[in-house]
Amino acid sequence: MDLVQVQNLCKSYPDAEQGEFKALDNVSFVAKAGEVFGLLGPNGAGKTTALRILATILHPTSGSVRIFNFDVTKQADYVRHSIGFVSNNTAIYDRMSAWEMVEYFGRLYALPDDHLYPRMEKIFRRLQMDDFKECPGAKMSTGMKQKTSIARALIHDPPVLIFDEASLGLDVMVARALQSIVLDLRDQGKCIIYSTHIMREVERLCDRVAIIYKGKVIDSGSLADLAARHDQDDFEELFFQLLMSDDEELAEKTSSLGMPTLNGTVAASMGVGPL
Amino acid sequence: MNWSHVKLIFHREVRDQLRDRRTMFTICILPLLLYPLMGMVMMQVAQFHREQHVTIGVVGYENWPADFPLITDVKNDKIHWKKLASDSELVQSFAKSYVTSDPGTKDASGTQASKQITAPVVAERVLRQMESDAIIWVPESFRDSIAQDSLVVLSNQRWERSQLAVQCLQERMNDWHANWLRNHMKATEMGATILEPPKVRQIDASDAEMKRALVWSKILPFVMLVWALTGAFYPAIDLCAGEKERGTLETLLCSPARRREIVWGKLLTVMCFSIGTALLNLASMHTTASIVMSKFAGLGAGDMVAAMGPLPLHSMVWLILLVIPISAMFSALALAVACLARSTKEGQYYLMPLLLVGMPLVMLPMIPGVVLSPGTSIIPVTGAVLMSRALMDGEFTHALLHLPTVATVTVLCCLLAVRWAVRQFESESVMFRDVERASMKQWIRNVWRQREDTPTTNEAVLCGLLILVCLFFGRLALGGMALTWSSIVQSTVVIQLAMILAPALIMATILTRSVRKSLRLHRPVGVEIAGAILLAISLHPTYAVFASMVGAEYKLGEQTIGMLMQFDSIIASTPIWSVLLVLALIPAICEELAFRGFLFAGLLRNGGHVRAILLSSVLFGLSHGVLQQTITAATLGLLIGWLAYRTGGVGCSIAFHCIHNSLSMLLAAHSSRGTGVPYWLTWALEINDGRIAYTSTWCTLSVGVSIALIAWFATKKAFAVSLNLEETQGILRETRSGRRVGFR
Repeated sequence: MDLVQVQNLCKSYPDAEQGEFKALDNVSFVAKAGEVFGLLGPNGAGKTTALRILATILHPTSGSVRIFNFDVTKQADYVRHSIGFVSNNTAIYDRMSAWEMVEYFGRLYALPDDHLYPRMEKIFRRLQMDDFKECPGAKMSTGMKQKTSIARALIHDPPVLIFDEASLGLDVMVARALQSIVLDLRDQGKCIIYSTHIMREVERLCDRVAIIYKGKVIDSGSLADLAARHDQDDFEELFFQLLMSDDEELAEKTSSLGMPTLNGTVAASMGVGPL
Repeated sequence: MNWSHVKLIFHREVRDQLRDRRTMFTICILPLLLYPLMGMVMMQVAQFHREQHVTIGVVGYENWPADFPLITDVKNDKIHWKKLASDSELVQSFAKSYVTSDPGTKDASGTQASKQITAPVVAERVLRQMESDAIIWVPESFRDSIAQDSLVVLSNQRWERSQLAVQCLQERMNDWHANWLRNHMKATEMGATILEPPKVRQIDASDAEMKRALVWSKILPFVMLVWALTGAFYPAIDLCAGEKERGTLETLLCSPARRREIVWGKLLTVMCFSIGTALLNLASMHTTASIVMSKFAGLGAGDMVAAMGPLPLHSMVWLILLVIPISAMFSALALAVACLARSTKEGQYYLMPLLLVGMPLVMLPMIPGVVLSPGTSIIPVTGAVLMSRALMDGEFTHALLHLPTVATVTVLCCLLAVRWAVRQFESESVMFRDVERASMKQWIRNVWRQREDTPTTNEAVLCGLLILVCLFFGRLALGGMALTWSSIVQSTVVIQLAMILAPALIMATILTRSVRKSLRLHRPVGVEIAGAILLAISLHPTYAVFASMVGAEYKLGEQTIGMLMQFDSIIASTPIWSVLLVLALIPAICEELAFRGFLFAGLLRNGGHVRAILLSSVLFGLSHGVLQQTITAATLGLLIGWLAYRTGGVGCSIAFHCIHNSLSMLLAAHSSRGTGVPYWLTWALEINDGRIAYTSTWCTLSVGVSIALIAWFATKKAFAVSLNLEETQGILRETRSGRRVGFR
């Protein structure tokens, strides 16, 4: 079942330099129940924008997004009930303990008490959060914060979970724990959208991926498909090649128009200088 | 709207704020400490002040009449008398030039001039050297003939102590003189009583409690408003900009709570703290002040101080009731402003502008003579303050009479502010804006490159403000002119062309691609122009009635009335065509091009026709310097704006404006000239009180005609001359939903 359907999604912002900046340009993908769908791309590719639109925080300029068959613009309330959103930008309250934080969101989702508390206890046990139940957000470590965020996103047992660069800044232990949670959720039949730019995580977690670069989906499919199509087993290499070839295409286009080439922008955006 | 979400958010935010030590300190602890501390300091200063006494040096003390000695053995005398030896060199040199010699007998004028320059320096040196705040010379002849000889007193009015010394000396002299007279009168047969002024016994109708309420009702609303704003502002920044900064806002945005619910939850929190701060401050200040003042009262201070006893309980209740609407309004404003800020630091910058906007509204009720009236009741904060004051004074019927207007205005302002705050929350560009990195040069280049056919909303508002600023300085510069026809022509033309039209025209040329579209110049349609002219004629009687009502409510000053009479007589003695050209046609064209042209075009964007009509009429009103004119012009501006919106250009509004002005001028000129009403117009005009006025028949009839004409204009479809993307979409939507659409 296609829980997430994104069709021709576009998002543009007014921009000081170019007049209009296209953060997303005709992005389409579909994610099913019981799979981890990876959204890959370098920094600034448009992943966060896409996921914010999925989470109804931003409105799409055009195109359609349906989550659990609800439209994100017209049925935003239902969409918000069907998703759990964990992002780098969804911080937790400094002056609230982990328990209070999760309780607060559980109440916002209108969970009745006799349902809320058993579920909270279950989640806290599963995520090994019982040690810092009463710890205020300001005193938590990054790992603790991320666990609290995940608990917050899981409290209403949504069918779709969105993780936006959730492993950023986590140490190996917590990152591994996160991965096992994600896989566990997948096995429960959830649909998980997982955005990252770390290739190891992709290889370990994702069933299918879409590679986004400069607001466009350059390629998508299962990992095996992609490897076969581009004849490259090493996924990091494959990713890099895809971005480079896209840049070259762009460079050819612009040079044929008599404009200066943009060679090496991928290398720059990946943090690797030309050798 | 799901109120359980609002309640949940409210509870969480309140708990969050209560856990924040900084907020708790400014909101709860500070007021509790502030006033007692201030009271303590005041007490200390007062003690210090009481112990202060002045030193007055006396030269020639031996010449003072012995029967009334200056130096008495009264304890705690404020004046410390100091006998000075008259043979000291410094005193001698000074006395020589000022005291003993007569200026008329000076031999050489040159020496006197040089002495006058050096004299103040010497004088100051004398005072310093003698360690006196003032010095008095008693001449030898004084003992015998007090009345004839003047006493010379040297002081330095730059020193406060010296001023005080002179004041004390004068009082002492008066006392002394009265005593001296009394003694002398006793010797005669008239007796001393003849000198006493008639005794006055005052009977005050108000009781002491009422008087106390009066003093407090002036001070406390002010204190309360300042704290209501401060108490609202800091939590608002923390709840909006602070959450943005900490990243917790996005967490909340993807929760089931809608934006509107989030805003309401936060608003209630801010309001709660605003009310709390205001009340705590009130209570603390009131308690401290009552205690401090009662101490002062015991020491025999003035009536004002004596009146500052504790406020009666019922007055307190009215004051507390006032807090609620005011806090609601400030909270919503603070929340909306705080949403704009990206960070708490940026948020702090917005406090000052907000205070500047709020202050005049709070200060206005403190002006003596400002009372609750239909006029003041429609001013946002002012009306509520005056209302509470009336209630504190016990004028219940008067207050009740104005309750509907005050309540409507307050609720309306609150709702507008809330709507603004919700809009801020729904705007992606506000919630997720990044730090702008573009340089100034880049920005200017972009403004130029991206200019469109019509001005943007911001450019329009800027133009309006620019016109107001130009007018302010222009009127100041032109203010001093004598009232003659040539000066009227000169100032009207300069104001209209240089201060109203020029800003709009320059901005239209520089900032937009099409001057024609920016000024909304379209080819006028004859029927519509005719309709506008007819409407101007038929609406003029109603306008005259409205203007006289405004004039009755906000009285014109004597001087202004005199000026207006003079003005009328000037235009009566000037050829009518030139009057109409200068005072009707030129203003109509310039003002309409600016307000219903450039400003309107910018404000009309993104379907903002209500905004365009409202804002353009407010700015149009403000551009008329006199308050009465501002009100009438702004009201008329609403209709002209609506006409401009309905007809899509400035043609009709120019026609309407021009005819309207012409009618006013014609009536004024003919009234002043004293010519009668031509027989063919007797059905519409009559002579009333020496002035030409509309007959009641025509007044009534004209209302019907106006309504018919307005209805006719209402059937015209509304559209904008410039069609940007959104507008095109809007029109397409309208087409689909079956509305009549036409392009010209």
